[in-house]
Amino acid sequence: MRSFRAYFKKEFKEAARNYKYLILAVGFIFWALLDPLMLKLLPLILKASLPVELLSQFTNINRDYAFLNLLKDLFQVGTLFFVFSLMGIISSEVSKKKLVLPYSRGLKPEGMVLAKYIHYAITVSIFIFAAFLTNYFYVKSLFNSGVLSIQIVLWSCFLYILYFAVILALLLYMSSLFKKSIIPGLLVLAIVYGFNFFNQLSLIRNYLPNYLILRAADLGVFFDTSLIPTFFISVFLIAIFIFLTIIRMKKIDVA
Amino acid sequence: MIKVADLKKSYQRLEVLKGISFDVKKGSVFGFIGKNGAGKTTTMNILTGLLRFESGQILINGMDFLKNKIELLKSIGYLPENPVFYEYMNAYEYLNFIGEITGLKTKKLNFDILHLLKVVNLKIQAKRRISGYSRGMKQRLALAAAIIHEPDILFLDEPASALDPEGRLEMLALLEELKRRGKTIFLSTHILNDAERVCDEVCIIEEGRILLDEKLSDLYDKYIQPVFDIEFEKELTVETEILNKLSWVESIKACGKIINLSVNNIKIGRAEILKVLSGLDNYVTSFQIRKSSLEDIFINITNQGRKVK
Ligand SMILES: Nc1ncnc2c1ncn2[C@@H]1O[C@H](COP(=O)(O)OP(=O)(O)O)[C@@H](O)[C@H]1O
Ligand SMILES: [Mg+2]
Repeated sequence: MRSFRAYFKKEFKEAARNYKYLILAVGFIFWALLDPLMLKLLPLILKASLPVELLSQFTNINRDYAFLNLLKDLFQVGTLFFVFSLMGIISSEVSKKKLVLPYSRGLKPEGMVLAKYIHYAITVSIFIFAAFLTNYFYVKSLFNSGVLSIQIVLWSCFLYILYFAVILALLLYMSSLFKKSIIPGLLVLAIVYGFNFFNQLSLIRNYLPNYLILRAADLGVFFDTSLIPTFFISVFLIAIFIFLTIIRMKKIDVA
Repeated sequence: MIKVADLKKSYQRLEVLKGISFDVKKGSVFGFIGKNGAGKTTTMNILTGLLRFESGQILINGMDFLKNKIELLKSIGYLPENPVFYEYMNAYEYLNFIGEITGLKTKKLNFDILHLLKVVNLKIQAKRRISGYSRGMKQRLALAAAIIHEPDILFLDEPASALDPEGRLEMLALLEELKRRGKTIFLSTHILNDAERVCDEVCIIEEGRILLDEKLSDLYDKYIQPVFDIEFEKELTVETEILNKLSWVESIKACGKIINLSVNNIKIGRAEILKVLSGLDNYVTSFQIRKSSLEDIFINITNQGRKVK
């Protein structure tokens, strides 16, 4: 417990002082603010130069379209910010020998791993929630029509948070396996983007976490039984990756 | 207090520790001496639970280290060779962090940290970020982190080697203070002067093997040059002859008022010589046993070690 407490505070200080919060905030909330504005302004800017047929595409942008645009950006760009800012979460601690002093003082690896996971899971949840909420009110005031409601936004938000919780656990484990941070970073990105392919295979897609991303974009459709395996597997993956990370950090040579 | 038997460790295929054994007595300062790459840091990382090893046994306070690691670490403090911190913290915050991991009570901890910062002379800089610290300041901060829980055993890996002369003296003074407070200190160094100054026992390691493990005082007895340099008040007359008759005298070189006398047994020589000299008519104005330094001994032994191989 004391290892957990010490590392939770440490992660908080580190994220604040090394601008991790700032980077993550940009990676998530920035798009929530920028996207709707771009969608609103772009047709106005392009009015003069684009042919009418193309322009008509922009003019029927509604709230749903604007919100889906955020979902897409968070998945494509938000993950980049997320993965690149957190890929060293364990690897850089090990490779730079920052764990020598804590381990020599009897640090409990499970405390450290859980503190790191829970700290960033909370952080990312807050940023995703903030992004979805700002986007919703913004979109509502800029655009008309569409089915978008606060219930839909919160449901999608929940699915995204669960998805990022899985990715965070994966990143944590990968980061404990390698000394160079860039390797877990690229591996996780490959998995994130690569697994989206399975969303085309309706037979197995709901057994993989990326199904959460697909369902988040299915506006107006809430829980159904096809999500049961997805939820179950997501939670299982989080638990197993955290467990493996703890085992790894108990065995690893930190000096 | 610390008993190591036949400890072996390899990095991939490179065997770095080739079965080392030694014993560190309670309350002593144990000098672990060797050149760069001899295996000092590796040994210390193993003894502080940071590195795994292939075979051998480690007993601390009579308990098996591997089986009682968490318990035993409570009485151990480690100052690594190149301590690394979370540099965005300040000294106060870092010590708090380490203290919390160690399980010290918050109230007492705050008080202890202020005291520690004074001891290691970092009080003024305590609220500055560690990223701005000099090498010596980091070393002192790491020492504070190592002794924050008042451990009985301290592992100090080249605590003064990277410091400037002033920093070195400060560090040695701190060590002497810790020694006075009865800590068992395992000190690795390649600076023999430092070892000579603070150690009770020295252990020489070379390429992963122990070449020698002895009390510093015994070591001097064994390796001391058995030569007395004696200066008399008046020119020499019969003195040379009288001394030459003694059974423990090996040879004599005389020149003016000075005699250089070699003995074949330093123990008897030291006991007898003053008696003999006091019986002479010629007064002695200066008397000295030629002392070899640890440095001579070290070079001597590591050379022998090379020949044996
Ligand atoms: N992580 C490592 N991987 C491979 N070899 C290492 C590693 N650490 C140390 N060594 C090698 O082990 C030997 C002993 O190193 P070390 O214990 O650091 O010596 P010392 O502290 O006495 O200078 C050296 O030859 C060094 O190159
Ligand atoms: Mg070393």
